[in-house]
Amino acid sequence: MRILVVDDERLARERLRNLIAELGVGEVVGEAATGRDALEITARLEPDVLLLDIRMPGMDGLETAAHLAKVDHPPAVIFTTAYGDYALRAFETQAVDYLLKPIRKDRLEQALQGARRLNRAQLGAVEEAGNQGAPAPRARTHLSARVHGDIRLVPIEEVLYFQADQKYVTVRDQQGQVLIEEALKSLEEEFGERFVRIHRNALVARRALERLERTGTGRYQVKLKGIEERLEVSRRHLSGLRRLMRG
Amino acid sequence: MVFAVVVIAQLLAFLLALAPLNGLTADRWRELGLISLFVQWAALTSAGTLCLARPQLARLSNTAAGLVAYLLMMLVLAIVSEAAFHVMELLGAGHSAYWHAHFIARNLAMGAIINALVLRYFFVQHQWRRNVRAESQARLQALQSRIRPHFLFNSMNTIASLARSDPAQAEAVTENLADLFRMSLSDVRNRISLGEELELCRRYLYIEALRLGERLDVAWDVDALPTDALIPPLTLQPLLENAVYHGIEPATAGGRIEISGRLDGADVDIQITNPAPEGTTQRPDGNRLALDNTRERLTACFGPGARVSIEAEQGLYRVGVRFPYLSPDNRPDRPA
Repeated sequence: MRILVVDDERLARERLRNLIAELGVGEVVGEAATGRDALEITARLEPDVLLLDIRMPGMDGLETAAHLAKVDHPPAVIFTTAYGDYALRAFETQAVDYLLKPIRKDRLEQALQGARRLNRAQLGAVEEAGNQGAPAPRARTHLSARVHGDIRLVPIEEVLYFQADQKYVTVRDQQGQVLIEEALKSLEEEFGERFVRIHRNALVARRALERLERTGTGRYQVKLKGIEERLEVSRRHLSGLRRLMRG
Repeated sequence: MVFAVVVIAQLLAFLLALAPLNGLTADRWRELGLISLFVQWAALTSAGTLCLARPQLARLSNTAAGLVAYLLMMLVLAIVSEAAFHVMELLGAGHSAYWHAHFIARNLAMGAIINALVLRYFFVQHQWRRNVRAESQARLQALQSRIRPHFLFNSMNTIASLARSDPAQAEAVTENLADLFRMSLSDVRNRISLGEELELCRRYLYIEALRLGERLDVAWDVDALPTDALIPPLTLQPLLENAVYHGIEPATAGGRIEISGRLDGADVDIQITNPAPEGTTQRPDGNRLALDNTRERLTACFGPGARVSIEAEQGLYRVGVRFPYLSPDNRPDRPA
């Protein structure tokens, strides 16, 4: 069994490594200190099991798990946490395994032996659990898309705009664009603080707004910082956008 | 208290004057005067008697004290009624013996009801005050130990890891953890010196530094603080815990916590600064708790002279704590 240990604390990773070595149930193929690294290593090494800490800076364990659903062969996930995380109850209802720190050796053995791959529904439920119990609405820190069998992660603060087109939404950042399978409306709900609606089919980052332009045909379009293409502003959202850019 | 008795008695007098079904308005005004005079007289004498009897009443059980107080009030009412009758006779009212008996009996009947209501009122108020006091005591108890369980379990995990790799450090963590929890379980009215509190803060940060590694950077600037100033234990530590929890843990790159302090006139002024990672400024939930905790403990100890302030600017979050400098020599003899 090939195991990836994910925890932002070095001592916690070290302890898991020691316990696994003693148990002799598998080998630790890698360690990651952040959710991003975990996803990158997972895509590269394809471990069987992830021991995934819930509370990590940046992308937390729950969000990491949700992005895992996009990997070709998602590994089994066992969550670890130090204390009474709000997601634990959801884990129980979804039969998702978790370990409480300090982790007991026999409990770890049991979890590794019973480790199963989570299906999409379970991964989704885990992500949702984080939202339900959280004291404030949680928004993802990254968006993920499958690009040639790999996960491409886009930090939400780097997104310039979202543009909906039939089934997909285009996510544009400085580097380029990726397609994700999500609804514009739910993106607006999740990231409403950062983005503003300018058209039935587009959300733009508030911080990227540069100027409003009027075209020869009497329509309006907006210029965003760092990119040349212009996005159309609908009549309905014009006054709101004007107010925002003035204030 | 006396004012309350006067007001209640006067309201009662109004009630009694308004009550009769027949009679002219002019008569009522005259009667109101007489009734007021009588009711005030009876009420103030009752209150005075109860005040004088208070030391004796205090020794009885609640029920017995209530009963004795009731009988005393009735006795006072009987004497005052009798005296009032005689005053009226001296003024030449010329009432019959029947009127006399009727007057006394009627007063006692009304008094029986009203005195019962008054005692009941004081009893309820007394219960209420006792509840409030018990509640604030319980609150204070609850406030005293707010070391996050999160921290406890993380530290246990740190010890478990170090037990193999670095037993000496595992020992040190265990000792520091024990000190912190011993302090959090100590009596609420306990006071420690600022020097001791700062030492506790160092022990706390020692544990966190092992866990967070390079992500936690701490800068101390506390040499100008009077180490003998007295404060409730764990006044500053929860603020540091807050700073770690909200300022360092959520940041991938970590950050720096600054603790600075000085004596400003007669006040001790301490500031704790931590980075405010994006997203954390919008969720002051946990922050509030620790801040309210510290604020209430300082207020319970120093009264309104203590202040806790918050500033958020340019990605920094700063908590200021200010309280009067009480050294062991000039400590006023005041209960907590």
